[in-house]
Amino acid sequence: MTKNSLKSGPDELGYYGEGENAMGGMAVGETLMPALHELNKGFEDAIKDQAFLDEYAYYCKHYIGRPSPLYFAENLTKNLGGAKILFKQEHLNHTGSHKINNSLFQILLARRMGKKHLICESGAGQHYSATAAVAAKFNMPLIGVMGEIDIKRVNQNIIKAKHYGAKLKSVPGSLKEAITFAIKTWTSNPDYAYIIGSCVSSAPFPKIVTFAQSIIGKEIREQSMAQEGKVPDMIVGCLGGGSNFAGSIYEFLDEPSVKKIGVEAAETAALSNGTPGIMQGMKTYMLQSNDGSKSLGGSSLGAGIQYFSVGPMHSYLKNLKAVDYTFATDKEILDAYKLVAKTEGISAALEPMAGAAEVIKQAKDKSKDYLICLSLCGRGEKDLDTIQEHIGKDFE
Amino acid sequence: MSERLKKIFRSNNPKTKLVAYFVGCYPDYKTSLELIKKAIDNGVSVIECGYPTSEASAEGPVIKIAHDKVLENGDTLKDIIKLVSEIRNYNQEVGIVLMGYIANLYKYPISKFVTDISDAGADACLVVDAPHELKEENILREELNKKSLSLIKLIAPTTDDNRLKDIVSISSGFLYQVNVSGVTGDKSANEIDVSNFVKRIQKSTKLPICSGFGIKSPKDALKIANTGCQGVIVGSAFVKYIQDNLEDKNLPSNLGKYISTFTKELQRTG
Repeated sequence: MTKNSLKSGPDELGYYGEGENAMGGMAVGETLMPALHELNKGFEDAIKDQAFLDEYAYYCKHYIGRPSPLYFAENLTKNLGGAKILFKQEHLNHTGSHKINNSLFQILLARRMGKKHLICESGAGQHYSATAAVAAKFNMPLIGVMGEIDIKRVNQNIIKAKHYGAKLKSVPGSLKEAITFAIKTWTSNPDYAYIIGSCVSSAPFPKIVTFAQSIIGKEIREQSMAQEGKVPDMIVGCLGGGSNFAGSIYEFLDEPSVKKIGVEAAETAALSNGTPGIMQGMKTYMLQSNDGSKSLGGSSLGAGIQYFSVGPMHSYLKNLKAVDYTFATDKEILDAYKLVAKTEGISAALEPMAGAAEVIKQAKDKSKDYLICLSLCGRGEKDLDTIQEHIGKDFE
Repeated sequence: MSERLKKIFRSNNPKTKLVAYFVGCYPDYKTSLELIKKAIDNGVSVIECGYPTSEASAEGPVIKIAHDKVLENGDTLKDIIKLVSEIRNYNQEVGIVLMGYIANLYKYPISKFVTDISDAGADACLVVDAPHELKEENILREELNKKSLSLIKLIAPTTDDNRLKDIVSISSGFLYQVNVSGVTGDKSANEIDVSNFVKRIQKSTKLPICSGFGIKSPKDALKIANTGCQGVIVGSAFVKYIQDNLEDKNLPSNLGKYISTFTKELQRTG
């Protein structure tokens, strides 16, 4: 790694970049500061411990089912008539999304640090059901916090997590309210481990989650080299907090020849329409009132990408223009869902269909040997009611 | 460091100071001003004037409702600083601390915030989610120093002795001792724990210690006052009193009476 590498991570206080433009940091109450420093030390120690990394690799293979395939979406490629499209099939992981890479890593870390109780938040419930599964496996009690709006629309994940023995705390609102309440719950129980679901909030969380998810990009490199003889020319992924996309691109951050496009939900496009601010533990781009007193942002059909803010590494990469960030509307997301379902026989979650919507735009004018990799980070079961309600008639 | 805060804590009357937290502009600007005036009339030594933000991470349900109401009314940090200037016009002795989160302070922005609160007559500010690891805390502290104002720092039960020394070394005015790990208005403070905690802090500093969180009644206040701290902080109990009596036409004077039950109890210390 060179000194100017984008992969050198945040500094010891959690900042990506320097000076006024530095993003990230630690903006939480004093009660949690010792726990965050303890976590940072626990993480740095763990990643130097080969036995720990081997344990993570073992469960990645045997429990999650990694590596997830890098799949040539041949029919979609033909349909669009341009670039060659590959799906990184994260939806085929146990529990149905990329979230479990991070839940597994953080719970193994919590065990290594001697933690006995777990807290998590969730938007789409993918992180909640993934964390609940791993918590059950390692016999650790879990409290999950979710917004009422999300609990209603992703009921399958709620039921699964209940079967795994997790307890649910419902709060008014959606993902942002769930995060704020999870931080409060942790403040009341600072000896618990907070298994955060994305690369957001105070340091060291963005670094830890990005590390856990970077397995996605490492596999993309190996598989693409083996199958295609080269790395992708473009990687596209959706973002709420941005952990799936961070994990997909981290491996390639020092390779400008690999184009990277992150896609937010149009109504909560913090990187396209937001301004820098400091909320929920981090300095980053966010949708907020002019005076900074209120978080803003509308709703998206994709619960997991309906987030007013974004992980600080993405804000840093945006400022450097190292990565392009855009957004997709609900209609574009639904259109992409329809096309992927019909051409590839994959009922995807709505979140990665924000990424697919961008792939549809990008693929057409590219040559046949141009490789686009889409991180297909979740499966559609949780969204079937929503999809049925909006475009069910289109399938009749 | 604020001269006024120095003077307040040097004085022996009252021996233990009552520090009262109110959400600025709650339930509205005018009523808020009247409530705080009555609090001063009834013996409060330091007013903590809270300014709200939607993602406040340390507030329990009582203060959250008050925050949400102020945000809904559209009153901003600017309005709350104006409120502070009116409080200062009303009384020159009381200590005034702006208390809130970094989100809106950062956008104000920081240097203008410090100028404006200095002009308004505030003595200090306390930013819950701005530990000394945060760049913006360093900038804020430097700007406050230039104006001889204090940045009040928190010490929590989880703060170990090494960290305590770091915090004490950058503190002025007083230290805000957080009695319990949790959000405001939730757990009760145990006087033995608080007493041990006060002793632990006093090993590192001679700065006044104000003890807060979990003080819900005059009796609690007296118990905590006897632990050796220089001030007791009451927040949620007062905000809840206001919340429960919003229809009361004599709310300010009745709040004053309620507060006097605390200050009278504190007269019994020492």
